[in-house]
Amino acid sequence: MATTSQDPKRLQTVPNAGDVFGDETPLGLGNLGGSTDGPLEVVHVFWVAGMSCDGCSVAVTGATNPSVEELLAGTIPGLPRAVLHHPVLSVSAGAGFMKSFHAAARGELGAPYVLVIEGSIPDDQAFPSDSGYYSAMGAGGFDPISEGDQPNRMTDWVLKLAPGAAATVAIGTCATWGGIPAAAGNVTGSMSLTDFLGQDYRSALGVPIVNIPGCAPVGDNFTEVVAGLLMFLQGLGPLPEFDELGRPSWQFKETVHRHCVRAGYYEEGTFAEMPGDQECLVDVGCWGPVVQCNITERGAINHMGGCMVAGGACIGCTMPGFPDKFAPFYKAPPGSFVSGSISRTTGAGIRRLRRMSQANMNRTPLWDRTGHVPTPFAKQMSQPSRVSRIEGFFYKKLQYNGSADLDKVNKTQPNPKTMDFLGRGSHQELERYTPGAPGEGAHVEETT
Amino acid sequence: MSTFTELPIDLGDDGRASLKDGPDPWAYETKELHPIEDTPEKLAKLLERDGQVRRVDFDPVTRVAGALAFHTVVDLESRQVLETDSMATLFRGYEIILKGRDPRDAIFISSRACGVCGGVHATTSALALEMAFGIQPPPMGTVARNLLLSLEYLYDHPLHLFLLAGPDFSEPAVRSTNPELWSKAQDTPAAGKAKHGFNTVAEIMTGMTPLTGSLYAEALHMTRVAREAYVLIGGKYPHPQTVVPGGISATIDASDMNEIMLRIGKFFDYGQKVVAIWDDIVEFFYEANPQYRHIGTRPKNLIETGQWDDPYAYDGTYANVDSWARQRWSTPGVIVEGKLVTTAMTAVNMGLEEFVEHSFYEEWTGNGKGPRGAQFPEDPLGNPLSPYHPWNKDTIPKPGSTSWKEKYSWSTAPRWDRKAMETGPFSRMWVTALSPPNDKTKFIEPTGHSLRMNVPGGALPKATVEWHVPEIWGAFERNRARANAILYTALIAYDNLLMGLDMMRKGETAVSTSYKVPKDFRMGAGFWGAGRGSLTHHLTMDDGVLENYQILTPSTWMASPKDPWGNPGPYEEAVLATPLLENFEKPEDFKGIDVLRTIRSFDPCMPCTTHIHTDDRVITREVITCACGVDDGSDHNHAHA
Repeated sequence: MATTSQDPKRLQTVPNAGDVFGDETPLGLGNLGGSTDGPLEVVHVFWVAGMSCDGCSVAVTGATNPSVEELLAGTIPGLPRAVLHHPVLSVSAGAGFMKSFHAAARGELGAPYVLVIEGSIPDDQAFPSDSGYYSAMGAGGFDPISEGDQPNRMTDWVLKLAPGAAATVAIGTCATWGGIPAAAGNVTGSMSLTDFLGQDYRSALGVPIVNIPGCAPVGDNFTEVVAGLLMFLQGLGPLPEFDELGRPSWQFKETVHRHCVRAGYYEEGTFAEMPGDQECLVDVGCWGPVVQCNITERGAINHMGGCMVAGGACIGCTMPGFPDKFAPFYKAPPGSFVSGSISRTTGAGIRRLRRMSQANMNRTPLWDRTGHVPTPFAKQMSQPSRVSRIEGFFYKKLQYNGSADLDKVNKTQPNPKTMDFLGRGSHQELERYTPGAPGEGAHVEETT
Repeated sequence: MSTFTELPIDLGDDGRASLKDGPDPWAYETKELHPIEDTPEKLAKLLERDGQVRRVDFDPVTRVAGALAFHTVVDLESRQVLETDSMATLFRGYEIILKGRDPRDAIFISSRACGVCGGVHATTSALALEMAFGIQPPPMGTVARNLLLSLEYLYDHPLHLFLLAGPDFSEPAVRSTNPELWSKAQDTPAAGKAKHGFNTVAEIMTGMTPLTGSLYAEALHMTRVAREAYVLIGGKYPHPQTVVPGGISATIDASDMNEIMLRIGKFFDYGQKVVAIWDDIVEFFYEANPQYRHIGTRPKNLIETGQWDDPYAYDGTYANVDSWARQRWSTPGVIVEGKLVTTAMTAVNMGLEEFVEHSFYEEWTGNGKGPRGAQFPEDPLGNPLSPYHPWNKDTIPKPGSTSWKEKYSWSTAPRWDRKAMETGPFSRMWVTALSPPNDKTKFIEPTGHSLRMNVPGGALPKATVEWHVPEIWGAFERNRARANAILYTALIAYDNLLMGLDMMRKGETAVSTSYKVPKDFRMGAGFWGAGRGSLTHHLTMDDGVLENYQILTPSTWMASPKDPWGNPGPYEEAVLATPLLENFEKPEDFKGIDVLRTIRSFDPCMPCTTHIHTDDRVITREVITCACGVDDGSDHNHAHA
């Protein structure tokens, strides 16, 4: 039985608890932008968290292309301003925070909205009437909103808001595929948003669920897609392209190995033996060659970091098979035995040839001519080996074949007259800089 | 003061503990609760008060991480809080997902218990695994972990101070809840202008305005600066990819060190600025009304496990835990009523218990052979362990309707020596301030009553910033301490960075050690920290798989419901003690800003408070939901009876 403030067994509530910032100011006050050129000036974003760790929210606050504040302040030319309703970031609490959710659920928001789901979807709708939930937000039912205690389940909100959303975006591997709550031992019946809403779901604009996976995802992958969707809604761009699983195809079509900074080691057949080694991480448990992700290209934040860039092995956190199909972590994937062995064999030859060419490239034409590398750092490379010289000879022949033979020209160049100027002693005394003792400052003295 | 006053443990001067005699030394009596709405005579009296006594509920409490709801009963006439109940309302079942897995998976899985502070779970898990495996990282591996910890805090503290807690002190919030303070702020010059550039306190409040305020925007930017440095060796954030048992899987070169150093350096100036901002805010409110000192006050009972390991002292063993933990930058300890009662990690560990009288779990004791059925009556050194200790804990969910009298939260009630404890950046600083110095740092001096922080110059000149142990402990001091913690953390990060550079010079560049997963029975514990306080993982394993895994997070300590003796958890306790200084005329206008400032001053982070528990059904708050469309496949259709 829903209860109200008139109930003689209950105290009255306070209607505006938590509504510190007043009505209609979910986030941000004054001086906000938003394009007036397109059909939309404002788009609401309802962020609903299910079986979530809030990690996707945190990743999004790290995004810079665009940043959340650019989206929320409406400072991106042509784009509408996004009004975010988010349990971690919104300013008002309790009933004040929930007002807009109810307005959207009743179809009375007066502006289009995007629904974002973070976290897996629990099996709450399977519970018989009055028996509970795993994940909830707000209380008091939907129509009418009462002062009762019954929780509004997260899945209720999804069912209320998804049909009217201009677009529905699942962010993170929990919402897109199920993630860790849906892993072996799943006791909450957790599943992905796609599994929950099913194949027939389309947003109000006819768009299926957009999936942006990753645990946590690269923040830019999300904000970029949101910006793309807003461009589309504004009539400024096409609907972004999605792959067969609803992933933004330009972000997820390549394996993370293809753009990996360590992929070259794989090619040359050299592998890290211990965590922290600089080579390819396949033997310490990296699944990169079969994982679709762009973190090695895009970085983790502001184009910096990235799993294998830093030295961490890929555990497939963007993939529907995560985590169980990649466990136990830190164990070499079975498939890498075959591909790794092939790469070791061919890589060994390629590596030796490349080192010889590299040694040649590390000498200027002048040094080739004089046979001398005039730096004390470089004693060990001052005399190229006979094999290297022979290799260099044929290499240059092939390289310049059918074109201008710069090698030939270089061989006839005269050597500069003032080479080894200091060594020949034919110069005036130089002033030598001597650092002073601490506190004294530096000074210059005559050399003797 | 003896270390334990409530637990049946005698602790000798040699650090060896023994169990006091008695037939059932761990027994306790529970006290019945009498919440207002379950007590007709109380309720009848209050209902006569013509609407002056109200329920004030916050569901959800926003600007905290995760699912927190808070129930209060407030007397708006006498401006007192009469009753509080703190509710953790999300449940994901991580424990059963961890049980029976390869222990190596614990790092990446437990990290995902929390996406606000995931990295710290990864490291805590690695520490617990190292104890269980009998391994330790090379020194550079520990330095890298210390840097990751610092960088996580340098993202976390600004996030809390300006994105979560800060808006409650911003212009629109102050104008809406205490307009008289806004007028006063416009006439109050800001004492810290040389550090932060604002002329008046009102200008600071405008700067704290969500989204449009300069301080809000700057904090968001600084969280990114810290995270950029983090991902250089962590790979990504919030769930780092490089934490491994026995060290770290990061390839660290001179560019990484350079790029990290430049970013740490930015926090010297920023930290000085943030301290000046919060000093001005705090002192302004205190001056306007001394009662603000009592917002969110509670006893000075704090627990700290210590963190930032000495790379040369940490050996991963429980046998030596007291000595290596004392060598940390932040040393372990427990403060009771303002006095430091222990600095021994074994004593900190021994005093831990979790109770579930008012949580949705069943009592688990009775399965083992020890007193009260404890499975492990002693720790690996022979010290007594309570049957309610995390190593003995088993999670048996018992869903049911929420009742303020019986059960109302998915958080357990952790206690140390049967007392409610809080933890946070302030507990690290406070314990360090009261402890003897261990010469770990070049920049921070504990004085017994304060921390003196010698901050190198940047754009701002170098300065000594001193954080004083507060006389009255409340919400404003929590925020002020967290502001100081930016400098405290940045200086420890700098210490570690310089140490790492020295290791590179000496060629001590190994960051990981090899190991095999043992197949025999092992116990392990990780004692570490999160942005919002101490964090522990306790595990047992056998036959190469995890038998039990228990995570005790700072927000579990502080979001705690009442304990068996009816004593409130820290959020509940602090809100109960809060004076209501909000300016309102009618009950309808009441917004609860003082309650919200109190709750947020703890920096609640709920995802990992409720991560580990298993069950198939949660029934809460006298749930009367709906006959939903599952049976007939129709669309959702609510029918409230």
